[in-house]
Amino acid sequence: MSTPERIGTIREAINEALHEEMTRDERVIIMGEDIGVAGGVFKVTAGLLDQFGPERVIDTPISEAGIVGLAVGAAMTGLRPIVEIMFNDFTTLASDQIVNQAAKLRYMTAGQTQIPLVIRTAMGAGRRAAAQHSQSLQAWYSHIPGLKVIMPSNPADAKGLLKSAIRDDNPVIFMEDKMTYNLKGPIPEGDYIVPLGEARTHRQGDAATIICTSSMLYPAQEAANTLANVGIEVEIIDPRCLSPLDDATLIRSAIKTGHVLIVDEGYQSYGVTAEIAARIQAKAFDYLDAPIYRLGAADVPVPFAPSLEDLTIPSAEKIVELVKELVA
Amino acid sequence: MAIEVVMPQLGLSMDSGQIVEWLKRTGDPIQPGDLLMSVESDKSTVEVEAVERGRLHIVTQPEDGAVPVGSVIAYLLADGEAPPVAAPATPVAASPMAPSREAVPIAEDHSANGREGEYRPSRPPSSPAARRRAAELGLDWQQATGTGPAGRIKERDILAMAAQPAAPVAGALATVKMTPVAERLARSAGIDPIELARRFPGQRLGRDEIETVIRESVRRARQTAAPETADTIPARSEPAGRLRSLIAERMAVSHLTNAPVTLTTEADATELVRLRATLKNDPQADVVPSYNALLAKLVARALVEHPIMNAYLDGDRIVYWETVNIGTAVDTERGLVVPVVRDVPAKSVQEISREMAELLPRAKAGKALPDELIGGTFTITNLGTYDIDAFTPIINGAECAILGVGRLVDKYVVIDGQPQVRTMMVLSLTFDHRLVDGGPAAAFLQRVKQFIETPYLWLV
Amino acid sequence: MDETKSTTAVVETRSDWPPELLLAMYERMVVIRRFEDTVYDVYSRGIMPGLAHLYTGMEAVAVGICMALNESDNITSTHRGHGHLLAKGGDPKRMFSELLGKSSGYNRGKGGSMHIVDMSLGILGANGIVGGGLGIATGAGLSAKVRHENRISVAFFGDGALNEGLFYEVANMASLWKLPVVYVMENNTYGEYTPADKSTAGSGPARAEAMGIPSRSADGNDVLAVYQAALWAVERARTGLGPSFIECETYRWRGHHMGDQGDTYGYRNAEEIDTWMRDCPIERFKAVLIAAEVAGEPDLAAIDRRVQQEIDEAVEFAKNAPYPESAEVYQHVYA
Repeated sequence: MSTPERIGTIREAINEALHEEMTRDERVIIMGEDIGVAGGVFKVTAGLLDQFGPERVIDTPISEAGIVGLAVGAAMTGLRPIVEIMFNDFTTLASDQIVNQAAKLRYMTAGQTQIPLVIRTAMGAGRRAAAQHSQSLQAWYSHIPGLKVIMPSNPADAKGLLKSAIRDDNPVIFMEDKMTYNLKGPIPEGDYIVPLGEARTHRQGDAATIICTSSMLYPAQEAANTLANVGIEVEIIDPRCLSPLDDATLIRSAIKTGHVLIVDEGYQSYGVTAEIAARIQAKAFDYLDAPIYRLGAADVPVPFAPSLEDLTIPSAEKIVELVKELVA
Repeated sequence: MAIEVVMPQLGLSMDSGQIVEWLKRTGDPIQPGDLLMSVESDKSTVEVEAVERGRLHIVTQPEDGAVPVGSVIAYLLADGEAPPVAAPATPVAASPMAPSREAVPIAEDHSANGREGEYRPSRPPSSPAARRRAAELGLDWQQATGTGPAGRIKERDILAMAAQPAAPVAGALATVKMTPVAERLARSAGIDPIELARRFPGQRLGRDEIETVIRESVRRARQTAAPETADTIPARSEPAGRLRSLIAERMAVSHLTNAPVTLTTEADATELVRLRATLKNDPQADVVPSYNALLAKLVARALVEHPIMNAYLDGDRIVYWETVNIGTAVDTERGLVVPVVRDVPAKSVQEISREMAELLPRAKAGKALPDELIGGTFTITNLGTYDIDAFTPIINGAECAILGVGRLVDKYVVIDGQPQVRTMMVLSLTFDHRLVDGGPAAAFLQRVKQFIETPYLWLV
Repeated sequence: MDETKSTTAVVETRSDWPPELLLAMYERMVVIRRFEDTVYDVYSRGIMPGLAHLYTGMEAVAVGICMALNESDNITSTHRGHGHLLAKGGDPKRMFSELLGKSSGYNRGKGGSMHIVDMSLGILGANGIVGGGLGIATGAGLSAKVRHENRISVAFFGDGALNEGLFYEVANMASLWKLPVVYVMENNTYGEYTPADKSTAGSGPARAEAMGIPSRSADGNDVLAVYQAALWAVERARTGLGPSFIECETYRWRGHHMGDQGDTYGYRNAEEIDTWMRDCPIERFKAVLIAAEVAGEPDLAAIDRRVQQEIDEAVEFAKNAPYPESAEVYQHVYA
């Protein structure tokens, strides 16, 4: 049970996974804006250019559509590219390449080709970066058949899931939360793999289930402690992968507790929370003792002023309030 | 060979076309590229050219109306060739099969969306979990008092209702909707309001319904085996509930159809106790197996050696199960359930213990899944916590036998002529004498006793 | 800017090019012409689902370029892709099957006309998005460079796609990194229903040159002129000099798609079509071959008949083939 591990940040975990996979498979290349010489705006790709050289670590012009387009063509012809798109807000510029090309080529060609592509991109608000640099667009990509969408919440999962993503033969959107790159936790040494499509239960409880994605784990855990003080023991589950989604684990927990709150940093309306809620109500209907609650970011563009921005992001206080309502 | 000229597909959405005019006449010689006719599709009028050569023979005229794409409208014939005798293209009349292009008006949505004030449902708000629980307990959920938000009836409210004694008739009657006449009648006849609510859920009862119930109860009273007792001794009654009724029926069937014989013996459980104590005190041990888990494992091992005890009688055939699934009897507030651990010989004691640690409490709380309560091949029932030693358990369903386990009690026992304190446990095995005789059953029980006394025999 | 417009003299033809090559070119153009005429016919009978965008009249461009490529070289094509696919060696049987949505098609009927792929021939696909193939072809150039493979890629696109932003993004990177890519712009005068001069400021070659990509123009209806331009560009790519741009002027005889017939969209007139049809690339090449004594009328007619038979067989094959099974709906979504 004891894999050797060290304590490190999510940034270090991702960096380690990139180094290990690029060493393991020479077909893996990485491209993006400022990822080589500068080591990436969030410093996630530091050291890769020195170790693997400019042929495999490519600094590109500011051309999101072009970068992803090239990556699709390269993936079809023998490489396994990783593309970094600085902020997930900029994936809009590459939408055609992601949605109409990468996601569909395998299907449209009936399997004659495959696109082993990973798009790493940063989401999440709280950085005072304002509306065009603070979105969480995982719902859009989870909606598209042919894409896989991953959201790690801690260093170990970041390493294990990224390695799986790079080894997966499908286009994968790997969403990193820009606010938690510095967050520390155990990172297992060596070839640590987390399979795609498995949720992780961080806490067990009987009163209510909180399902939370990415950095929403942390306000959920804080809320759980507060709730435990008043005798409400909640269960916390991180799906880790939105597509494919581990329905079974989520539904089992909903049956067990009968009360469910889903927390995600996408906008409240038409988000990931809605899909998970729909799946749970379909399979756990007879065991629900309250309607399913969803907590997302406020349905407004993210404001700049810190006092305003903080109002729009799901918080531990709000989670506590909603769980208390659920079990009332 | 006549060449067919068909109505062409001139647009994505086109499925029929109307010939506006023929630009050539029947008998004209046609070369590829010659314009034959103009056609109106749903978008525009187009001139269509010939792709082959021949002498034109027109079949469909403009006045014949619109024809489906692909249907033959003319032929190009070789010199001297006669046209084929074929039916002309069927005009597309207002076909009853064609889907109407008009949008079907959507029926007005009368749900409560956004107009809650106008909609007054006749039932109280309730959660699915509450209604499910009520159905399991055989209760009318509408009779519960809701303590959730906005008076919602939640599962705990059903449980609370089940635990309560029945309300006095007068008070309870008020919760059933009845006409004034019906209410007077019910009150004077002493009819159980819960019975009424269950019989006619959600209805507003009138005189007829009450009279029906009165007539039936009179009929029943005349037929009842012990009418006097029912009338004269004060008693309270409540619905037995689905689970209880099920248990009642199964127990009766089991008892009536098989030939139960119970054997008892006393086993020295000292080693078993020591095993657990040692594990408990070891900081490195991750799992301390429960007695249930240990018993399941060793009984399964004994069953593998005595397969007749893991079998059942199916008419004139003996069926030996190929796996050993041990059911462990668990008391719930509603009655006995038997959650099952499957394929016990393949699992380690730790695995069984972990599985039971998760499953048994859940079964006790009534949250086991139906699949988890069936499929056992042998049952163990433990009344040790109630200070019971020996008893005569009833065989569960179609199984061959059931093992009853008594309490662990320290006693003086003579070993090699000396009195020693040992922890003893009585085992009671009820077996089906139709299937197996006393000797083999006793041998099996002896083996179980041996396994309890000497755990290393089955631990390796 | 290199403005060499290549034309072919009769004398050059006989001495410079081997007859097998010239006859192969002729045959490929005829295959495309007959294939597209058959598609027109079958589509008009209402048995071909979806859309069809015909390449009739532009044969010389696809053939002139593809004849300069190896089997392992990559091409990407457009929504008007049958010509490129056949020129690269695509199998008419599997192509026609795909157009009819049959399981014997290249994509088992799941892609249709605009998405046909044959990885064994290096065909990275026709594409339903205007300009969609540009990124893919450039990416294929990147992988060839990173993996040190002797493989170049050609992106076919039209005057319409020239105005998609993606072109500038990928061509810029191709030029920056000297990727082995050839950008072939087929200027057939119209982007859908809008003439090029109403949609494009400046010119294609000028835009390419602005990004450091040398360009050539060729008469798109002269297959040998296109071929010579192709050789120039392919040589540049293979020797690590980077990308090139070739503009070919040509014309499509048929509408933008099968629903664009006669005067439906009112954007061009019969006179213009007639003028271009008189400049038929196949007839022109036929005349050159005969004058250069590479082949006589009967030889060429024999090729025509053989090709027609091949196409007829392909159509029969496709018509008789089964549709894909229902279970296929959920296959191939993920690897």
